[in-house]
Amino acid sequence: MKRHEHLRNLALLAVVGLVLAFVPDTLNVYQRSFVLFTMMYVVLALSWNIISGFTGYTSFGHVAFYGIGAYACAILVADYGWHWLATLGAAAVVAGVVAVAIGYPVLRLKGPYFAIAMLGTAEGTRVIATVWDSLTHGGLGISLPSAETSFETYYAMLALMVVTIAVAYAIGHSRFGVRLNAIREDEGAAEALGVNATIYKLAAFVLSAIFPAVAGGIQAYKVLYIDPPSVFFVQITIAMALMSMLGGKGTVIGPIVGAVLLYTVQELTWVNFPTAHLIAYGLFIVVVARFMPRGLMGLAIDRGWVRKGMVH
Amino acid sequence: MPSRPNGVALEVRDLRKAFGGVRAVDGCSFAVPGGKISGLIGPNGSGKTTTFNLLTGIIRPDDGQVIYRGEDLAGLKPHQIFGKGITRTFQITRIFREMTVLENMLSVTGLSVPDRVARERAEELIAFVNLAHLHAEYGGRLSYGQQKLLEFARALMTDPELILLDEPAAGVNRTLLQHLLEQIHRLQEMGKTILIVEHDMNVIMNHCERIFVMDYGVKIAEGPPAEIQRDERVLDAYFGRRRT
Amino acid sequence: MNQRADDVPGREALSRPFAPRADATAVRPSPHSWRERSETRSLYLLAAFLICAYALPFVVGAGAGTIRLDERWLANLATVVVGGVMQGGVYAMFAVGLTLIFGVMRIINAAHGEMVMMGAYLTWVSFFYLGVDPLLALVLTLPVAFLFGVAVQKVLLNAAVGAPELTGLLITFGLGLTMIYTAELIFTTDFRTIPYAPGTIQLTSTIAVGQNRVISFVMAVVISVGVYLFLKLSRLGKAVRATALNAEVAMVCGINVQRIYLITTGLAAALAVAGGALVSIQFGFNPETGVQYTLQAFAIIILGGRGDYVGALLGGLMLAVLENLVSLMVPSGTAMVELAAYGLMIFVLLIRPGGLMGVKEG
Repeated sequence: MKRHEHLRNLALLAVVGLVLAFVPDTLNVYQRSFVLFTMMYVVLALSWNIISGFTGYTSFGHVAFYGIGAYACAILVADYGWHWLATLGAAAVVAGVVAVAIGYPVLRLKGPYFAIAMLGTAEGTRVIATVWDSLTHGGLGISLPSAETSFETYYAMLALMVVTIAVAYAIGHSRFGVRLNAIREDEGAAEALGVNATIYKLAAFVLSAIFPAVAGGIQAYKVLYIDPPSVFFVQITIAMALMSMLGGKGTVIGPIVGAVLLYTVQELTWVNFPTAHLIAYGLFIVVVARFMPRGLMGLAIDRGWVRKGMVH
Repeated sequence: MPSRPNGVALEVRDLRKAFGGVRAVDGCSFAVPGGKISGLIGPNGSGKTTTFNLLTGIIRPDDGQVIYRGEDLAGLKPHQIFGKGITRTFQITRIFREMTVLENMLSVTGLSVPDRVARERAEELIAFVNLAHLHAEYGGRLSYGQQKLLEFARALMTDPELILLDEPAAGVNRTLLQHLLEQIHRLQEMGKTILIVEHDMNVIMNHCERIFVMDYGVKIAEGPPAEIQRDERVLDAYFGRRRT
Repeated sequence: MNQRADDVPGREALSRPFAPRADATAVRPSPHSWRERSETRSLYLLAAFLICAYALPFVVGAGAGTIRLDERWLANLATVVVGGVMQGGVYAMFAVGLTLIFGVMRIINAAHGEMVMMGAYLTWVSFFYLGVDPLLALVLTLPVAFLFGVAVQKVLLNAAVGAPELTGLLITFGLGLTMIYTAELIFTTDFRTIPYAPGTIQLTSTIAVGQNRVISFVMAVVISVGVYLFLKLSRLGKAVRATALNAEVAMVCGINVQRIYLITTGLAAALAVAGGALVSIQFGFNPETGVQYTLQAFAIIILGGRGDYVGALLGGLMLAVLENLVSLMVPSGTAMVELAAYGLMIFVLLIRPGGLMGVKEG
């Protein structure tokens, strides 16, 4: 890709960031939190996409890192009196360490076995959070003492989203990203071309773990109460996967579009059809996975609206 | 420049690999001369491709040594062997289908150059194999012959010392093949060592300086093409199969 | 063929290694030992792991003081193990459905537990509204389940065969959600139970098992064995197994693979619904209980060796016994019971991905 295209995209990101930085004053509390959660899902979908879209290892338990981040934040704020912003760094570190520990053995598994193992990991993490009373207060959950203004968390999430997009973009347009793609396409051939798959996969996994952890931390401080079922909710993983798939997994723009679109649709149906919206959501997952597994970006590429590949 | 123009580039000593009870490679030894084009031939199932996979770490040998620049490579992982300067192509192409031709080229590691330089080199090599007009196309959309060329070009990204080609002629039309062979000779002139597994005897006999013949997992003969063509054991291996 | 080696003169001499060359005298040895993990070694490792897994509840129990070595406690232990075996039969039966779909199509059916849940509600409806005996109701519910499975395969899953695993996972997960929330709309989230065969059977003076459990176990064994014999002996069953081994070869041999897919999913749904019926007469259920069964079924087929029928049966028994041991001895048992399934699943995947039966990826 030409230099000026990178600059244009960077400028675009800066404009979006600035616009989002100036709107919260004009929004009411509900709208502000709607935008915040939309940004959160952009972060989650993009992160999931690093390991599952770019690298082809379908993580069906990525909510584990989100939950770990939420707990790291909540415990450090509620029990140790840390400033909440400082806990976000801790959340990232904890999730990164856990990702290395889990990823090293589990990334040896391929295809469906990796997916199942990650599902088990996430559920296992939830049970541990429920059982480990002395650290996590168990099933009672943790309430965070705070005077939340909803502006602080908004700006934190905005900053996180901008960083996540920048990182995903950088990976997507680098030789590092191309090698992750190569692992997805044919791991054996990639290794025969000198790609140390173990290290590359682990790096992708860790990167895809730390942003959701930070998002989980911000979310914990936003809603001020967490418990195991809410932050290790399996449907958050599904949302990450579905959003990426809807927009086009393995691309940079796809998960962003998918997250914004899906979260908006979800919110609208929830407001308008309070009883049936969950059924509709289930059917929507089925329809997207059944009829457009390559997503909107796949469609755009096939029609020739977007160039093939990520590196031009 | 080749390190030892007339020495041995790669030496295989008593290499062994069994799959269950089948001894696919059963004590195979040979030495690939540096800076030359050599051929590895043998009837179907004689262990050629297994040998290639053992040399490049795709599968691990049960026993034996693969000596390259005074170092035993046996048991190393594929990416480590690649890092030593040995690249390969596959019998059935293994290009990355959902990646563009250019991305296929850039997936290769070991180039510590800036992106721009890597890209220039990739474009040069794509042009070298006549695929310049397809550089933004998905690998999976190329014809089989074009995929072979792409795989060949991809193997050259890091300027390797030793190039292993697994059936480069299979599925490639005559014109493309001619072009491919010219490129192989150019690489040899540049001092590269090339080892080819091939069924097409025209390719082997007209282009290789030294030929190794395998059968039942061992080397049964070795020599220049003219000698191999007259060798009783080779003729026996190819034509004298007596079924029991 | 081996005789031919002797026919070649000088073959021995030719295959001898070269004389050492000047540049290869000082060879650095390869730093890596390349001995691959052998089949038997991984089986020993798995056995060692399983022993530890079964010992763990006892160790934790000893630490937490939940073990009392008096007669009553020992009777409890025996009851729990027997109950586990009974329960395991039912687990095994619905896990077999999952293993069938996975074995034949490489699709992970994330809606499998919801199909179990559907079976429980079908039984409940026929019991309370039609007054049909839960076991007799199977005559009615199994064909319905089979057709449901066929429809799911035809409309949804055919598109996921051969696709990346995410496609099948998301389709079935979405289907599962739809089933859960439809059930909530109809039946609410209240827990339901079916009072059936509430008596107990005294095995010894101190060990007793619920009649409903024994009946469920017997039914599960009958159905499992029936399906096993169908797969082993009947023409159609052989075609299913052939497709599982290699769909392309099966196709070339004249097997209508599309039809096999329909039958497989139909059969799997029927097994799940039968499992649901047997679960419903033992435990309470609500629309969300299915999730737990899905995860248990995953653990079972991983433990047994995915796609392996006998492995799934063994895995079902082993998981249920382990779960019951955990709930007897480990404090905060209910959460820990879940952990048993996940722990088993992950460690088996890491130690021996082929499971007990050592299934290899084709």
